[in-house]
Amino acid sequence: MKKIIALLLALVMVLAFAACAPADNDETAAPDGSQGAEGTQGNSDLKVSVFWYDESDVYLSSVRSELNEQLDALGIAYDDQYAGKDQARQLDQVRSAITGGSNLLVVNVVTSGSTDVAEQILEAAGDIPVVFFNRSIGNDGQDVTVLNEHANSCFIGTDAPEAGHLQGQMIGEYLVDHYDEVDMNGDGVITYAMFKGEEGNAEAIYRTQYAVEDADKVLTEAGKKPLQYFDPNNTDKYQVDQGGAWSAAAAKEYMDTNFVTYNEASGNMIELVICNNDGMAEGAIASLQGQGYNTGDAHVVPVFGVDATENAIALIADGAMTGTVKQDAEGMAKAIAGTIGALAEGKTPVDALAAQDDPRFSIATDCASKLYVAYAPYTGE
Amino acid sequence: MGNPVANLRRRADEFKTLGPKDKRRRVVDGILNNALYILMLIFIIYTATQNENFLTIDSFATLLIQVAAYLPMALGIGGCIVLTGTDLSAGRIQGLTAAVAAVFLQKTGYANRMFESMPDATIGWIFVTIMVALLIGAIVGLVNGFFVAKFSLHPFIVTLSTQLITYGIILWFFALNGNNGQPISGLSDAYKSFVGGTMFKLGKTNIPWYVLYAVILTVIMWFVWNKTTFGKNMFAVGSNAEAAKVSGVNVFLTTMLVHTLAGALYGYSGFIEGVRSGSVAAGTGLNAECDAIAACVIGGVSFVGGTGKISGIILGVVILRIIFIALTMLGVSSSSLYIIKGAIILCACALDMRKYMVKK
Repeated sequence: MKKIIALLLALVMVLAFAACAPADNDETAAPDGSQGAEGTQGNSDLKVSVFWYDESDVYLSSVRSELNEQLDALGIAYDDQYAGKDQARQLDQVRSAITGGSNLLVVNVVTSGSTDVAEQILEAAGDIPVVFFNRSIGNDGQDVTVLNEHANSCFIGTDAPEAGHLQGQMIGEYLVDHYDEVDMNGDGVITYAMFKGEEGNAEAIYRTQYAVEDADKVLTEAGKKPLQYFDPNNTDKYQVDQGGAWSAAAAKEYMDTNFVTYNEASGNMIELVICNNDGMAEGAIASLQGQGYNTGDAHVVPVFGVDATENAIALIADGAMTGTVKQDAEGMAKAIAGTIGALAEGKTPVDALAAQDDPRFSIATDCASKLYVAYAPYTGE
Repeated sequence: MGNPVANLRRRADEFKTLGPKDKRRRVVDGILNNALYILMLIFIIYTATQNENFLTIDSFATLLIQVAAYLPMALGIGGCIVLTGTDLSAGRIQGLTAAVAAVFLQKTGYANRMFESMPDATIGWIFVTIMVALLIGAIVGLVNGFFVAKFSLHPFIVTLSTQLITYGIILWFFALNGNNGQPISGLSDAYKSFVGGTMFKLGKTNIPWYVLYAVILTVIMWFVWNKTTFGKNMFAVGSNAEAAKVSGVNVFLTTMLVHTLAGALYGYSGFIEGVRSGSVAAGTGLNAECDAIAACVIGGVSFVGGTGKISGIILGVVILRIIFIALTMLGVSSSSLYIIKGAIILCACALDMRKYMVKK
């Protein structure tokens, strides 16, 4: 009996290893078969390694499947590696990939906003071109310094504050049009709740800040009073997911708890909900619906998110959610794949970025090796 | 251990027979041993003075709802801790079963329905889904239990492995059928009302049905722990596996069953999780075991093994939820929230070990 179990265990281990090995071959072999000789021949010595900060990220999953499709179509050999939100692990992966012969690195850093991480990766990479994407490699222009110092690097992403700006703009415009409807207690001031996805994340910080600032700007221009955070004791003016997971459950629990003190009967109901992403918006809506709002003919407390996930789009279509900001996964994948293709032809990163021609793309004003993919507001219209 | 009132009364009787030096030590001991409850009481009074809504029916209802959501996982993990083990796979099992349950019970005609061929969410189908969720949880639990019992591996290692494997399965599951890692949403109304529908109103707050389910589960678990041979065997194995073996307890079977039962409880918590938060993402359940383990330890389920009570686990969950609700109501910044939670867990563990060392 014991021998059989030992044998079975050994077999499982062998199978586990075997399962990993051919997967790599498949990915590189498939385009060879489907593309024909010319497509692959030109890039045969190019080996791209793509590093993702985590496999469970919703938006990046969409980018990944698009990117893999486009790289397959270009006949470029690539592999995807996942850091599981662990920066140290990602650095090890980068070093292993270089040792393993990768000659183009596409990196989605784990610790966003730290130039040290980018420096370490670039140091390991030496002359190998590095394309950073999605997660910012430095705040407040520090990333520009790094990119300028290393001619073999470039960044493709979104302008982190842009989502916050767009969200704020959208909220402001919506409120100007629907002020009295949203102002449930009729006191002329709209109170809001803000759900932050994660502490210390550059995107989360900008979204939390600009969504309110820009909405206030629009409101004051229209002669209305600025937004007011619902809880006067909370000086942070946001509630954050303790697990840093941008999760629906966190928003739901906060909202449930907030309802005890702040509700329609007491005349201090939360009149507007702003969330860092659509997942948290879904949680907030679940809580609102539990209290009898945002469903059927009941009063709709406007809820705003970011990402435009399919579920958020469905909620907006149902009228339970008001607006979101679309991160363009397809555009992001197209920008990365196009840049990889241009680099493979021997262009420098700056030229490779400049060669990307699409109305959604723009080169950053402060740095020629930074390409932005535009966000777009989405309200279902 | 779990009942502070009885503890104090017993101490009072002994107290009278002691000399002055011993008396002083006893007082200090008494304060230390019940420090957690004393601190909680001070904390509750302070919060109540700062926010008059804290001691209201609605606040209590919110507490009740949150406790009902967190309790099942803690009840499962409690058994593993009684066996001197732990379970790191709990959160991921919850995530997996939440995803499976959500997919089984998506609205017909919902635009992003993962499997069009799933039948309508009738009451029968909901029961099938519960069974599937419990079964998936139980299977992962069985794997945990088997490796712990068969190879005498520490549960930390075994459940760490199954945590990773389960997460892999979750990611694979979310990529199925062109879903591309998108969260699963659009849950059917029957499912929503079965779990989260209003059972009755407490103040202005709707009490959902899963509060009742949590009560039923607690009663069942109390019975299993206290009134069955299996429960007694569990404590025997937890205090001393060798001694239990000599006295005829089937250690292998007991260990397997404890983990399997725990897995089934995580499966149940997954079943309600989707409805609770409105959607299920790949990250659902991440680190949920940390809260559950913390609740057990605060409630006096000792890592030393062989000790623990269902009432203690309930108390632990209640304390953690009171902290969350109170600090949210006080509008405390998130950094202090982490620090306070960490400090309480540390104190609870230290006080627990102290009692154990005194006994020795």
